[in-house]
Amino acid sequence: MLRGCRSDWLLNEFVVRFAGIARKMEGASALGFIWYLIIRLGGALVTIAIGAVFVFILMQLIPGDPAIAALGENATDENVAAFRRIHGLDQPLPVQFWIWLSGIAQGDFGKSITLAQGYPVWDLMVQRLPNTLFIAVYALVIAVVISFFAGSIAALRQGRMSDTAATSASILGISMPDFWLSYVLILVFSLGLGVLPAFGFTSPLESFSGALVNGALPAFAIAAPMAGVFARILRAALLETKRRDYVTAARSFGFRDTFVYMHYIFRNALIPFVTVIGVQVRYLVGGTVIIERIFGIAGLGSMMVDGAFGRDFAVVQACMLAFLVFVLGVNLIVDIICAFLDPRRTH
Amino acid sequence: MTGTSKFSGVSRRNFLVGAAAGVTAAALPSWGRVAHAAGKNHLNVGLIGFSVVNTLDPQKAALNSDFWALSAMFNGLMRILPDGSVEPDLAESVSQENDTTYIFSLRKGVKFHNGEELTAEDVKFTLDRVLSEETASPNRAKFEAIEQVEARDKYTVVLRLSVPSVPVITHLHNGVTGSQIISKKAFEDMGAEAFSKAPVGTGPFKIKEWRPSERLKMVAHTDYFRAGEPKVASCDILLIAEETSGGTAMLAGDIDLASTIPFADAPQLEADPNITISRMSGANWRYCALNLSKAPFDDVNFRRAVSMAFNRESVVKAAIFGEGSPMQGAIPSYLKTAYATYERPVCQFNPERARAEMAKGKYGEGTEAVVLTWGSGWWKRWSEIFAANINQVLGTKFTVEVTDANVAFQRYKAMEMDCSNTGWIGRMELDEYIGDCFRTGASRNFYKYSNAKVDELIDAGRAEFNPVKRGELYRMAEDLIVEECPVIFSFNNNAHNMWRTGVEGFVPTPGQHLGSQLGPVSVPS
Repeated sequence: MLRGCRSDWLLNEFVVRFAGIARKMEGASALGFIWYLIIRLGGALVTIAIGAVFVFILMQLIPGDPAIAALGENATDENVAAFRRIHGLDQPLPVQFWIWLSGIAQGDFGKSITLAQGYPVWDLMVQRLPNTLFIAVYALVIAVVISFFAGSIAALRQGRMSDTAATSASILGISMPDFWLSYVLILVFSLGLGVLPAFGFTSPLESFSGALVNGALPAFAIAAPMAGVFARILRAALLETKRRDYVTAARSFGFRDTFVYMHYIFRNALIPFVTVIGVQVRYLVGGTVIIERIFGIAGLGSMMVDGAFGRDFAVVQACMLAFLVFVLGVNLIVDIICAFLDPRRTH
Repeated sequence: MTGTSKFSGVSRRNFLVGAAAGVTAAALPSWGRVAHAAGKNHLNVGLIGFSVVNTLDPQKAALNSDFWALSAMFNGLMRILPDGSVEPDLAESVSQENDTTYIFSLRKGVKFHNGEELTAEDVKFTLDRVLSEETASPNRAKFEAIEQVEARDKYTVVLRLSVPSVPVITHLHNGVTGSQIISKKAFEDMGAEAFSKAPVGTGPFKIKEWRPSERLKMVAHTDYFRAGEPKVASCDILLIAEETSGGTAMLAGDIDLASTIPFADAPQLEADPNITISRMSGANWRYCALNLSKAPFDDVNFRRAVSMAFNRESVVKAAIFGEGSPMQGAIPSYLKTAYATYERPVCQFNPERARAEMAKGKYGEGTEAVVLTWGSGWWKRWSEIFAANINQVLGTKFTVEVTDANVAFQRYKAMEMDCSNTGWIGRMELDEYIGDCFRTGASRNFYKYSNAKVDELIDAGRAEFNPVKRGELYRMAEDLIVEECPVIFSFNNNAHNMWRTGVEGFVPTPGQHLGSQLGPVSVPS
């Protein structure tokens, strides 16, 4: 560990880490890890099954009628009856639930009825998932990069001007509502400078550079409040870790500041940082509806909202399941990352 | 991070990195713009305030947004000109054998998007499909008077009606009608489901891709029967749910042309030299539907009192920012032959007369009623102002209940409410404002209003071929209806369109059937 403590620390870190994982996989702890995964995945499956029942019941409980959403208010009673028959809404609820659940087991999420009549829900999700993921990752990268620098500078130069500046900037980021920031960004970059579009998004599968450019404003609008939160968490965690005895001990060994920072302070401070990122990532997938609306991004969140307004049961249920799977997945990944970051586990 | 090395100048490496970053940053916007604008000769159209186009199958379509989008890809047998007159479109001429038999001679050589020629069989197939129980078309009620559709020869269609009906013929236009002519062969080859996603019509544009709740991509139908149209090579229709975004998209040039504008943003948009806004009294009406079968709106005096206590001007000013005008009936001013130009006292704001009228009836001060409404926009504002206004004048206790549109419609249809603000836009036929809403048992008469004399006048109006006489009959019916106030006639809002400088050929109409207006529209090259 000590030999690679210069500028190539990152590379070295990877080597050490991978060696650690490899060792684990060879020995008994690898089995432990696999068991851990199996238990977690099993738990996730149970959660998803319970979630599916819950979501289905919830959708049936809310008032409203998909026939009205699709047919308009002046549809006759015969029209409504025919609509219900065609889309299987006249079946008893347990039968509808069984059809839906057995469909999902075969990868069929049903068909939309009021959002895009007859369109397979899966196709709609496939159209939108890349947009949602792209914007989420884009915003996350921006937020992590900004907060990494802002948080680190603030902590390392505690009490100085740069700390005050970074801390103020992050409070500004947190307190600006994202929709307000969106319009400010549009005002400056679209209507003022004319360099970025105000509306319309290009799927990253169609044009990656187009998605980068068209997604810049929404990604930044989403990233700003997150960056503020991340930076504050990182700053607090760094300051907390900086005072630890083992840091003082490391300094007394005569290690360079950079090395102490990376190996002793930063790494331990990363655990709360990653946990908070994990919490925020969940919001990124479904909670950015307003931003999606403002910039015209066809994402999963706005699809679910449109589906809910139109009582498009299959669409809402599929979106909820997708979010559930995503949240469980992120939780698992965050836990694994934290486990590997925690020095007490690896040593 | 503590900065052990400091640069006295810029190293070669840093210079290169910086230069590369700079070039990338400079180039990014242009790449994005190219991807965004999809090249030259392309028209971006915004449907503002809508998040859903549910189907592209005209016979299945029901929502305004469905029709506003799909009408770019279709034609009707008839069409409506901006002045409101009806003329043949896919038909070359229309003649009458007698009061109930119409003969349509079709244009020859009209091509569908798949290259097939339009024939009488396609027309028969389309109209039979609207009427068929199996289709369960939400538009069926408009065509119930059709008894039989006959394809007499390749280019002649005979329509036999059970009763003389002028509305049936108007409903054959390319609007909120469901009678847009589809290709029989394409439909049979594709099946209903595939057809609803990639329909085949005769319109100026054909479908390229439909991204639900996002955009409709279309390309020019090069064999379109109107020579020289469409003027652009491709056209996208974008759904812009957030109204303010519609405004910013227009200001930024991300869309070239739009239906409707956010009422509140009209002055700001108008001030921009690159944007033209058209404004006219629209083919729409807004009213407060009343539950006539229970207290307090079962009392005609109370209803009349509410109507006279209602200051329509203030709602127009405050709820829709002056973008409309008060109405004293159901018929919008655009339907000139029937529009009442004289004053109807029961629809004039007059607090004293209102209180006197209330005193004649069963209900007095302190009467409670709930105004059902939805959302957070101008519908809600209208309801709040309405309730406050009535309470102030009559001393009643009206309250507002806000829900979502779906629940509001459901309860309105089932009359599980006291009263609810409602209305519609884009209807071109006189009978839709009177016959559909006030004839006994009519499709939109949820409040179950019934008046034998009104029914008689409506039936006479439906059968009257002389437009002036016809308008008079409907106005006479409206006179009687207004006296009884089965609904509180409220206001009509302006029909807007906006487009960027350089967009030419667009002719605004009160009906705002955007898709059907795109053929002659060009963009600067």
